Amino acid sequence: MLTDELKIEIYRMMYLAQTWEQRLLRLLDDGLVSGFYHAGRGHEALEVASMVALRDDDYLLYDHRGCAHMLAKRMSMVSLFGDFLGNDKGSTKGLGAGIVHIADPDHGVLGQSGTLGGGHVLAAGVGLSIKLRKTDQVVVNFFGDGAANRGTFHEGANVAGAWKLPVIYIVQNNGWAISTPQSQVTAIESFAERAAGYGMAGVSIDGMDPFLVYETMAEAVERARGGGGPTLLEGRVVRFRGHYEGDPGTYRSKEELAAGKDLDPVVRTRLRLLEDGLRTEEELDRLQHDVDAEIEAALEEALTGTVPGRERLSEGLYV
Amino acid sequence: MTTTPTVRKLSYSRAINEALAEELARDERVFIMGQDVGAFGGAFGVTRGLHARFGGERVIDTPISEMFLVGGGVGAAITGLRPVVEMQYADFLWNAGDEIVGKMSKWRYMHGGLFTVPMVLRLPEGAAGGAGPEHSTCPEAALLAAAGSYIVIPSTPYDAKGLLKSAIRDDNPVAYFEHKGMYGLKGEVPEEEYTIPLGQADLKRVGDDVSIITWGRMVHRALEAAETAAADGISVEVLDLRCLRPLDVAAIVATVEKTGRVIISHEAGKTGGGGGEIAAIIAEECITSLEAPVRRICGIETPVPQSTHLEQYVVPTAEDLGAAITDIARY
Ligand SMILES: Cc1ncc(C[n+]2csc(CCOP(=O)(O)OP(=O)(O)O)c2C)c(N)n1
Ligand SMILES: [Mg+2]
Repeated sequence: MLTDELKIEIYRMMYLAQTWEQRLLRLLDDGLVSGFYHAGRGHEALEVASMVALRDDDYLLYDHRGCAHMLAKRMSMVSLFGDFLGNDKGSTKGLGAGIVHIADPDHGVLGQSGTLGGGHVLAAGVGLSIKLRKTDQVVVNFFGDGAANRGTFHEGANVAGAWKLPVIYIVQNNGWAISTPQSQVTAIESFAERAAGYGMAGVSIDGMDPFLVYETMAEAVERARGGGGPTLLEGRVVRFRGHYEGDPGTYRSKEELAAGKDLDPVVRTRLRLLEDGLRTEEELDRLQHDVDAEIEAALEEALTGTVPGRERLSEGLYV
Repeated sequence: MTTTPTVRKLSYSRAINEALAEELARDERVFIMGQDVGAFGGAFGVTRGLHARFGGERVIDTPISEMFLVGGGVGAAITGLRPVVEMQYADFLWNAGDEIVGKMSKWRYMHGGLFTVPMVLRLPEGAAGGAGPEHSTCPEAALLAAAGSYIVIPSTPYDAKGLLKSAIRDDNPVAYFEHKGMYGLKGEVPEEEYTIPLGQADLKRVGDDVSIITWGRMVHRALEAAETAAADGISVEVLDLRCLRPLDVAAIVATVEKTGRVIISHEAGKTGGGGGEIAAIIAEECITSLEAPVRRICGIETPVPQSTHLEQYVVPTAEDLGAAITDIARY
């Protein structure tokens, strides 16, 4: 049930993700982190609200689009900053170094396949593992409209459907795979249509509306936990920034981008909370101020980390 | 009169089956998945009886989805299980290239050692009577560049069982290549439980004049050639590497230093089949011990032909090895 407290929590986490990323981008400008970052601005509602519907012991295979899903899965901000700084404060102690390889087994964050779509089959295997171990966990696999077209999706989705595995495939459909529009490479408009072919539930929703995302996700989670099988959840979203930092973005019209930005999930959710009388301006300002302080404190700690030396180069290769 | 206890004989295929059964019984986290591995018992009958004994949740029939087989195995392995995945043919490892090289081999490393990937990928390999170019190769060397995974190639029923049990218990991912042409091969396999550590070569025959460094099914042809050479007064040592990773470099160096004359032999084509790597290690570690140039007696560099008649010319024979032994001994 989407309580008022959950609504506030979702907003807080979206604001946190947005602000955390802003801070990261400043580190990038300062040359402290690598430019291989794919900003998640615009995707906050889908990434945050879906994760808020999970438990700590549920699994996440995130995608490269920002970090909101990992933050909402309760990864520590210090670890995340440390990962991008490539130092030993990071979740991988400086060895995974930022997107793409971040992980936190304690919060079910299993990592990412840098080859897009690798997660489709891993997720099915995690789903099988949950089923064999007879727990009621679920696994969520994020990917974009581009990665939706990998052949691995067919193999993973097919077994997930056939064996009714507790897998939730979330496609973040922002309409673009770098410079390639979805319409040019995909015959259908909604990826949710594909779900039927795998015997799984398929839903396509406005991924800019966090409360709708939460409710849709809660249903999918309930279905998965109860043995009802997988869901393909498509959230239609807008990528506010370039594919990566420094992307000239020449392929997308100014009008399209401006129209998308009018849908800003963070801004609109704040307005909704005010309109519905859940919080006052001052209360939300205070909430944001507290989040800002949390982020600064996390960064301060992360900056004290040490970059791994050459002697750690083969650490973790073998057990 | 004393009686020596007779050691039980088992086929290579039964030895693998027994290792699987013992590990399934020992550890409930172990499960098998693959195409037709269930009630049918696998394309080559290797998993026969396991489904009946352990049930459909421990021995799982999958769709024809090699990327899922390996990638799904990784997913299960990083969340607490120990999958033993059967590819119907080793040749299909390319179908799951990224899952093997990018996921199975690298997941642990690229996530800072936070996970272990305790899985075994069983890969039935080799030319075995007309299976054709896409079902007959020995692709073990393809994984040499996939640091993070071990490569095991047993040559006898005894090794097949002991190495598989170790592979299943190891927390690293293991690619386990079993030659289809050896499934019927019988050998001694004791009743008692045993394991063989990964990364230890086995000196199959001791000799003084020439060393054959080999693995997999070629071990038997090397032993046959060594026997023939002995009749001609040439003493041949046969070293079965058993694993390409971890590689027993010390055993390679020891035999090279002993005989100074080395033949490297494998069934895969000479280029890229793994022998070049062994030769390079010899050059780096003990080139001054060589009395003669290194010889490689390996597969012909064509695809394995579909025709059974032609297939026999692709894989090196004991005679090919015999000729090389005579040659190198005289050098
Ligand atoms: C298998 C593979 N092919 C190509 C790439 C390079 N690549 C990285 S992100 C990207 C675009 C992805 O688009 P989409 O899946 O829609 O996600 P988005 O970036 O829009 O969030 C590409 C082509 C890759 N990492 N892996
Ligand atoms: Mg996209």
